[in-house]
Amino acid sequence: MITGVRSRGARVRSTMFGYANLVPFVFFALFPFYFMLITSFKSNAELYSLKSVPLWIQNGAITDHYRYLFGRTEFLTWIKNSLIISVAATSISLVIAVLAGYSLARLRFRGVGSFGTAVFITYLVPPTLLFLPLSQVVNWLGISDSIWALIVTYPTFLVPFSTWLLMGYFRTIPREIEECALVDGASRMQTLLRIALPMAIPGIVCVVLFGFTLTWNEFIYALTFVSQSTSKTAIVGVTADLIRGDIYYWGSLMAGAVLASVPVVACYVFFLDYYVSGLTAGAVKG
Amino acid sequence: MAIGSVGVATAVPRPSLRARLSELLDRENWLGPIFVSPALVLLLLLVAYPFCMALYFSVSNAFIGRPSNFIGIRNFVRLWESDAFRQTFQNAFVFCGLAVGAKIVLGISLALLLNQQLWFKRMIRGAVLLPWVIPTALSTLGWSWMFNSLYSVVNWTLLAIGIIDPPGPNWLGQKYYAMAAVIIVNIWRGLPFFAITLLAGLVAIPKELYEAAEADGAGPIARFWHVTLPLLKPVLAVVLLFSTIFTFNDFNIVYVLTRGGPVNSTHLFATLAYQTGLAGGNLGQGAAISLFMLPLLGLVVFFQLRYIRRE
Amino acid sequence: MAAITRRRFLTTTASTGLAGILATGVPPARGQQREVLYLCWNNFAPLSDKKLSEIGQRFTKDTGIKLKIDHINAEQQPAKYASEVQTQAGHDLIEMRMHFPWLYEPQLVDVGDIVADLEKKYGKAISSAEETAKVRGTWRAVPQYHAMFVATYREDLFKKAGLKIPDTWEDLYVAGKELKKMGHPIGIPINQNLDSISTAGPILWSLGGMEVDRDGKTVRINSPQTAQLIEWYRKMFKDCMEPEVLSWDNASNNQSIQQGKAGWIHNPVSAYIVAKQMKLPTGDTINHHRTPGGPNGRHETDAPRHIGIWKFSKNVEPGKEFIRYLLGKPEVYNEYIMSGDAFNLPAYEKLQDHAVLKTDPKYAALKSEGVQYHAYGWPAPPSDRVQLITNSFILPIMLAKAVTGTSTKDAMAWADNEMKKIIAG
Repeated sequence: MITGVRSRGARVRSTMFGYANLVPFVFFALFPFYFMLITSFKSNAELYSLKSVPLWIQNGAITDHYRYLFGRTEFLTWIKNSLIISVAATSISLVIAVLAGYSLARLRFRGVGSFGTAVFITYLVPPTLLFLPLSQVVNWLGISDSIWALIVTYPTFLVPFSTWLLMGYFRTIPREIEECALVDGASRMQTLLRIALPMAIPGIVCVVLFGFTLTWNEFIYALTFVSQSTSKTAIVGVTADLIRGDIYYWGSLMAGAVLASVPVVACYVFFLDYYVSGLTAGAVKG
Repeated sequence: MAIGSVGVATAVPRPSLRARLSELLDRENWLGPIFVSPALVLLLLLVAYPFCMALYFSVSNAFIGRPSNFIGIRNFVRLWESDAFRQTFQNAFVFCGLAVGAKIVLGISLALLLNQQLWFKRMIRGAVLLPWVIPTALSTLGWSWMFNSLYSVVNWTLLAIGIIDPPGPNWLGQKYYAMAAVIIVNIWRGLPFFAITLLAGLVAIPKELYEAAEADGAGPIARFWHVTLPLLKPVLAVVLLFSTIFTFNDFNIVYVLTRGGPVNSTHLFATLAYQTGLAGGNLGQGAAISLFMLPLLGLVVFFQLRYIRRE
Repeated sequence: MAAITRRRFLTTTASTGLAGILATGVPPARGQQREVLYLCWNNFAPLSDKKLSEIGQRFTKDTGIKLKIDHINAEQQPAKYASEVQTQAGHDLIEMRMHFPWLYEPQLVDVGDIVADLEKKYGKAISSAEETAKVRGTWRAVPQYHAMFVATYREDLFKKAGLKIPDTWEDLYVAGKELKKMGHPIGIPINQNLDSISTAGPILWSLGGMEVDRDGKTVRINSPQTAQLIEWYRKMFKDCMEPEVLSWDNASNNQSIQQGKAGWIHNPVSAYIVAKQMKLPTGDTINHHRTPGGPNGRHETDAPRHIGIWKFSKNVEPGKEFIRYLLGKPEVYNEYIMSGDAFNLPAYEKLQDHAVLKTDPKYAALKSEGVQYHAYGWPAPPSDRVQLITNSFILPIMLAKAVTGTSTKDAMAWADNEMKKIIAG
């Protein structure tokens, strides 16, 4: 009986076929970045000339846009702010989500089932409207117009999903291991810290990446809660300073867009496998 | 009952308090609520309260900087009579339906392709994930430049290949092209999420099932239909749920590219709410627009979750 | 080991708790030293922002009042202002452009005293400034400068074809036909943006038409004048422009003339200035001429900008002092205007023939003799209902429908219906 063994030629052909089919997807994904990148290096004359070829640089690459970005705007400060905010907000969310996720997964008390539904409800209301009453709360807490406003409000959209994800992870840890530890005299805290947490590392890395990405990319809260130029985040700063009325400084905008994306991309390059496994584990383990 | 161990290197005074606390933290019915309380406080203060305020706005005639009065469901009724709102309603379903539909099909295809044995697997996966990772506000600006009415590289390329006649469509300014443009950008941004998540689902399917099906004489299409798809359903349901919610509430893409135009043909609930509530100052109407879909979305979420939980 | 981890746990929760936030995040107490916070937009001319900050530092040296200026993008203003009003906290002075004094009227301090002083020195505030900053008889913001729209054209093309500079909108059609034949069509956007209204408005006004009447309640869009407007746009769209104008955003007409395509656009002076700054070849060939007129005179869209003071501010008097310093002293006011390179022109009658217009012969037309300036929605006062009509872009949408196939009657009826719905509230 002929089993599923195929000839070498057929296998090579199907692999080539596979690669060939991937090309359009990779091209579709990467082209805009390539384009943003070359735009940031094109001279204004070439950029705004209808006769030039937009697909590559014809008249030599210039660094003027980058120099404008670094010299005439407070770009580096904005990047620094974004880093501080993202790291702080993500850390806070992580701690809260770990605690909440562990207890919802492990400790028996009422309300666990409806939490999942509640998580989704919090994502249903668009932040474009939530931010107004939220700004009242921020002001009441005395932290308006500072990066603390963002550090405190960002966990609101990170915690639900992170909790849900970690809940899934903690559930998969066999109870027996924890029971053993408890019998041996460890406290719940110790069990959490020394046993459950290490086993949930992929989930934690995923939460961290997810948090970092979302906080880095966030726009409307960053816009309304912070006005001082020295406290702005990278995205708000770039879109605020480089679009004046009806004048778009496209070259510098693209330069800013490229550079503002670097930190996030760097994270992903290092932690890609964790991110992939973490993102999917939530879905698969549910 | 476990005795909380006291550390040897304790530098903090008041050991009795610590002992008491450690004992407290060990009782499950204390521990649970304590652990959950930070999350609860956060959500109550920073989500529930603003949400209730938004609800109040929607049933009042709230306007920026003026006192407001309760007016019942008049905002919602008035919305339904507004041309712009009805158009937005239609847009939202078209946008969501087409974008999510395309993401499902392309997502499954991409996931299948990524599931093969590949060299440079990490690089390719990274490349594919990039659109999802980059800040939307900035990448959409890039797309806005790509669709620019005069300098569009998309038009230039299509013209060069000869597919279209000069001067090429006004992507962001012509009625159906604008919707196509925002859908394309949404797909570009959202596809990685679908593909990577579905990939995990694929990876979880045991190879033996495929081999068994092949042994039974099933071709590739039959294998897909009878082995892959059914086992992918739970993951697909979850991804679908998230994607529907995010796509429905999308703001950034439409706002940056078209601001809802031309002639309201790309307005979504979030952008119309922004235009009405913030630019126009009519917070009551803006809130009503934002919350209009909440009951429907709530039902969708409820049924999806039930389906997922059953599987 | 356990003790340390438990301690770490407790300190973590404490620092994420309210106490921790307040302890580290509270801004320094204000009111001990007099300090004024001013939120204004990113000016077209970055040098103007620099000059403002310079003047601010001199102000601090002269008076001892600290001044901090924050900048925000024009697009981002509504969201930011809404949140400041909602929380009743934020800045003291805020830039109030165009109709904002009407929108935020209950939140703004009465600044009639300052305006009275300025008007004594510089003459009356120009019509668009008064229409927008004086709300129901009370000055809610102090006019500082304005940027009006003006006809921007390719002088070389007009010379080459021997075209006459358009004096009326009908003349523009005649010139436009020739320009399109030469491959340099006219560029007037017909889309959901302010530039579209900025052109449609003046033409409608010059024909004697209007959207909403002076009482702010009666909708008058369904009229023979509007029909004339539609006819004009139809023939312009067919013979003088290209369909791409239906997709244009606020920057498109600038771009079109800067890179050499459009032969005539309607825009503030930004198109020319940017071409000059970027040393584009078209920089030498762009010039301006006075706004064309119609049977009902010459009217132009204007964007006046004022400074307002939030009622919730605890620094109203110091804020007023800064306004008097910036605008009340002629030398300082002049310095400020000069730094704006004709983007910002003074908003008072006696200052209309300002020195900044002489810095470049191409600014001559900006003097705009005989032109009446208005904000959007004139002659109706810019109340929130009228503003909603503007922000819903009903006028340009009506024109877009009309030039792409809808009958004049239907288009006007649609606009009439939409506007009536908004006025009814």
